Amino acid sequence: MANQTALIIDDEPRIRRVVSNALADDFSRVLEASSGAEGLRMASAERPALIVLDLGLPDAAGASVCAELRTSSNALILVLSARNADREKATLLDAGADDYVTKPFSTIEFKARVRALQRRAKSTAASDATIIQNGALKMDVEARTLTRVGVPVHLTPTEWDLVRVLMSNAGKTMTHRQLFAAVWAGRQYGDAQQYLRVHVANVRRKIESNPLDPRYIITEPGVGYRFARPAEG
Amino acid sequence: MDTDSHGRPKGEPVNRRALVWLLAFLTLAVAALALLAARPLLGEAHVALIFLLVVLGSSAAGGRMLGITVALAAFVVFDFFFLPPFNTLLVRNPFDWLVLVVFLITSIVAAQLLYKARSERAAVERAEALREADKLKDALLASLSHDLRTPLTTIKALAHELQPLGDERALIIEEQADRLNRLVTDLLDVGRLDGGALHLDIQVNAVDDLLGAVGQQVAGRQDLDRLKISLDDPASLSFGRFDFVHSLRILGNLVDNAFKYAPPDSPILLTGGVEGKDVVFRVVDAGDGVPPDERDAIFTAFYRRPGLGAGAHSTGLGLSIARGLAQAQAGTLVYRERDSGGTMFELRLPAATP
Repeated sequence: MANQTALIIDDEPRIRRVVSNALADDFSRVLEASSGAEGLRMASAERPALIVLDLGLPDAAGASVCAELRTSSNALILVLSARNADREKATLLDAGADDYVTKPFSTIEFKARVRALQRRAKSTAASDATIIQNGALKMDVEARTLTRVGVPVHLTPTEWDLVRVLMSNAGKTMTHRQLFAAVWAGRQYGDAQQYLRVHVANVRRKIESNPLDPRYIITEPGVGYRFARPAEG
Repeated sequence: MDTDSHGRPKGEPVNRRALVWLLAFLTLAVAALALLAARPLLGEAHVALIFLLVVLGSSAAGGRMLGITVALAAFVVFDFFFLPPFNTLLVRNPFDWLVLVVFLITSIVAAQLLYKARSERAAVERAEALREADKLKDALLASLSHDLRTPLTTIKALAHELQPLGDERALIIEEQADRLNRLVTDLLDVGRLDGGALHLDIQVNAVDDLLGAVGQQVAGRQDLDRLKISLDDPASLSFGRFDFVHSLRILGNLVDNAFKYAPPDSPILLTGGVEGKDVVFRVVDAGDGVPPDERDAIFTAFYRRPGLGAGAHSTGLGLSIARGLAQAQAGTLVYRERDSGGTMFELRLPAATP
């Protein structure tokens, strides 16, 4: 992690201090910007690996800063939000943020999120594999088969696509919209969002040993679904 | 503009209203006298159009009732003075009746239309004002949320940094910051529910999914195995039409209460299933139950049950928010008596067949 730059965009100097302390272990250089405009400038000049973006900036709406950062930077974007609004989180993930943390957060939680983000960024770079193993599940992308402890799981074509998208993005929260775009491309969105939840319920009945205590497909309330990484159990 | 049941502007002094009525009839009289002076030169259409103008003016100034009254008066004046034989209510030419009736209908319809157009515009203006107010409330609550949580984040983080130094006061500061944050969350929710600024995202959701999410929410607890989550009918998949986040909040709150108030180590049951047109979730624990006279009161904001020790950590808002959230999505949340004792809360939401 050495030799990496992080950028904090937050108008509150004290929050910048707290976040900066939390990042000091993992980043060799931590830059601070106090407004959206300054943040955008620094992001393109300094090419940080991580951007921590506060949504409550006085000069611009968080989601638009996020979308703008995304067009010019491939840094990891971690959003700080003071609202408990899950809808807002979904909007931000759709706008290109990689993860979000709700205020007030603890330093431990914050560090854990940053590290998880970095791990995921590394592993997704190498995940063009045709065989994906996750716990007792084994997916052969080319043969279009899924087995659970060696036993084939029968999936409908839509369910297969859904599981493939989730498994190949393991660890990443996929918003309802992103999942829909990946699985149902071309159909009307409003309609199929309802099918998405129905399909997830069906798939869980097929792959989870207890659908009421899912270990593979985790619900992110109001946001979407996330396929657990093996380490998450 | 607010109007009363007669279509008159509300709150207008009686004097002013009387003056408008007087003016309307005066105008009608002046018009009639003027027309009367020129009667030999005039056809029926001239008279009808002038009177129509007076009727419209009256309903514009004084509302629907005045418009219709003036129309009726004009009808009589028209007949009496301007249709032969003059100065009687008789009408010689049967086609003149047609003129009279058409005049009456036109004036009343015109008065009515004018009234409707005005009240529709008033309704649109009211709706716009309400929408504006809701937007403002939402923005206000959002910035309040930001302003309250930002210092809490700093407090919590700084307390956290102090903990490795071995000062146990740092831990207390962090706990209290969390408590304040819960209170802020609850108060903001009350504000949204009361102010009508609550966002609803009603979708078809699986009962499985909601139950699983409740389990996931309490997963960090040490006494987690007290909670038993089950389906009424494990073989079937059932769905409801509700807001997932709000419903999770309701059930999470009920389960939290059960952990808080039921005897330590006693089991807590969370069940879900379909009954008729509802999906039904029940949270059952081995607590003392709620006496009949308190069963409504527990759902009121800031109500705290006498003699409950855990009250210090409760905001007294949880159940009232839970019920508000249930009702906002066409559901109900009630306390139910159980034959075998204990406490049972029942959440009903509309079922769905995907």
